[in-house]
Amino acid sequence: MKPRSGRLTFWICFIAASLAVSLIPFVATSEYLLRIITVTIFWIGMAGCWNIMSGYTGYIDFGPVVYFGIGSYATAIAMTKYGVPFFPAAVISAFSSALIAIPIGITTLRLRGAYFAIATFAFAETMKQIALEFDRTFGVSFFQGSHGITLPIGGHENTFFFYCFLSVTFAVILVHYGIEHSKFGYGLKAIHEAEASAEMAGVNTTGVKLRAYVTSAFFLGILGGIEAYWITYITPADVFNVHKTVQMVIMTLLGGMGTFLGPIVGASFLTILSEILGTAFVEYYLIMVGGIIIAIILIMPRGIVGTIKEWKGIRFL
Amino acid sequence: MDTVLLQAIINGLLLGGVYAAYSAGFSLIFGVMGVVNLAHGELIMLGAFTSYWMFEYFGMDPYYSLPFAMVFLFAFGYLIQKYIINRVIEMPHIMSYILTFGIHLMVANIALKLWTHDFRSITTSYSGANAALLGLIIPYSRLVTFFLALLIISGLWFFLNRTETGRAIRATSLDKEVARLMGVNIREIYAITFGVGAAITGLAGASISSFEIISPEMGLQYTIIAFCVVVLGGMGYMPGALWGGMILGVAQSLAVTYLSAGISVAVTFLLLFVMLIVRPTGIVGKGLVA
Repeated sequence: MKPRSGRLTFWICFIAASLAVSLIPFVATSEYLLRIITVTIFWIGMAGCWNIMSGYTGYIDFGPVVYFGIGSYATAIAMTKYGVPFFPAAVISAFSSALIAIPIGITTLRLRGAYFAIATFAFAETMKQIALEFDRTFGVSFFQGSHGITLPIGGHENTFFFYCFLSVTFAVILVHYGIEHSKFGYGLKAIHEAEASAEMAGVNTTGVKLRAYVTSAFFLGILGGIEAYWITYITPADVFNVHKTVQMVIMTLLGGMGTFLGPIVGASFLTILSEILGTAFVEYYLIMVGGIIIAIILIMPRGIVGTIKEWKGIRFL
Repeated sequence: MDTVLLQAIINGLLLGGVYAAYSAGFSLIFGVMGVVNLAHGELIMLGAFTSYWMFEYFGMDPYYSLPFAMVFLFAFGYLIQKYIINRVIEMPHIMSYILTFGIHLMVANIALKLWTHDFRSITTSYSGANAALLGLIIPYSRLVTFFLALLIISGLWFFLNRTETGRAIRATSLDKEVARLMGVNIREIYAITFGVGAAITGLAGASISSFEIISPEMGLQYTIIAFCVVVLGGMGYMPGALWGGMILGVAQSLAVTYLSAGISVAVTFLLLFVMLIVRPTGIVGKGLVA
């Protein structure tokens, strides 16, 4: 545990940062700028969710997008079919993702290494195919297949979504803080270092992994719900897109896996970079992203935050 | 048995042979190095395009271009392993997953830039020719690839068990450190393994170019299928690719015949998911467990 003064510093920094970030909509000079910042905050939340599970435990989840997609569909179906207002719908999203994550977590978390990665990936692809084909196969109208679902337009400004994403992302960051300073967090890190020894030392490894898995599913569900309402149109190919998973992984890895600042640094850097590259070099964008990924892995496999820590020999936050 | 069911099973077995042909290399690379090669589909794509351009420019029959695809892909795989993947091979495996994903993005998108989005196919004099047998249809080109899969897997067995390099590869996959102490150059062996894996994958890619539609973006879906096949048969166990291919091929073919084409993909993944939970070492139980 950290001394009290460290905690105080954290809370002062956190409150100052949150106040500063909350004021962005008042100073953002254009809607375009506000939109980019909103997208950045969204990705910090997404990458953070992946970091909670995979960054700390080293269990590589290749299907986190499934909980994002379930969240999107839960919000969309609740709003269009049952006329639920947006905020309760987002809560429904969070709980449906978390509830589905429990049985899936119990079964898949027994697997190690590449097997866990492939199983989670397979589950995400299965859900995508089910969302695509369920209606046609069983002759019902529920997921609307590849036509997708159009959500009611609430007439909200970008500012509204900025604050929605911001509050979820703050919550995810606070979970990180909790992980860094709790027995639960030590349990996660112990699993990363040596799972068998952790278990012998009395860590309930299955319980700890499951908690991390379900927590990350919970927040991914809300993020999915908000995104669906923001974009107002969802299709299985979009919300279950494997590229979302890849993006989460790469952002966290770039920033530094299993570090507090990793997802924040990685997501900000990559979102802004892709915004610049995406507009300047539309045709070569994906080639460059591929090159950047290879370069990161070869040059600084510990990510930006990890590399800085190594150089300076410091451990901040 | 009625003809529909029998035809579905035959289609499934032939499809399974095709799957096995291009999945064996994935299994080899995982078995020896623990690398889940997310750029596997790109190796197939490059093999198929080698064949395609040979046909376009020199009018060469796709089956004659197989050795060229093999040599080209061996060199490609060897260099990638030697200069890129070897640098992270001692790190946690996640690094190699992400690295090969980066390679996937680069290769697929460079190919896209060079060869555009166009869907291409090779039309030969025997394209679409079938053998009809007791009311059942057997497409020749798939049958050839089916036998090629058997040839690839038995050739691989021969290479791994009866040659000096093969024995060094097996020794490395059993115990890297001891192999190193015995004077095996691990990095060279890894480069050769990746090269061989890429070569047989390119061979399979070239052979499917005569009946599948090819495009620079075809890779990812092939990687996913190879994933499934190898898990079903047992990761790192070479003949498992045949088992996995057959099971998946027949399951998909039955799902297409009796349910719908769309749901057959869901069946694939459901099968994979259940298999991983119930029997992660594959159907014959000889795969590696991490």
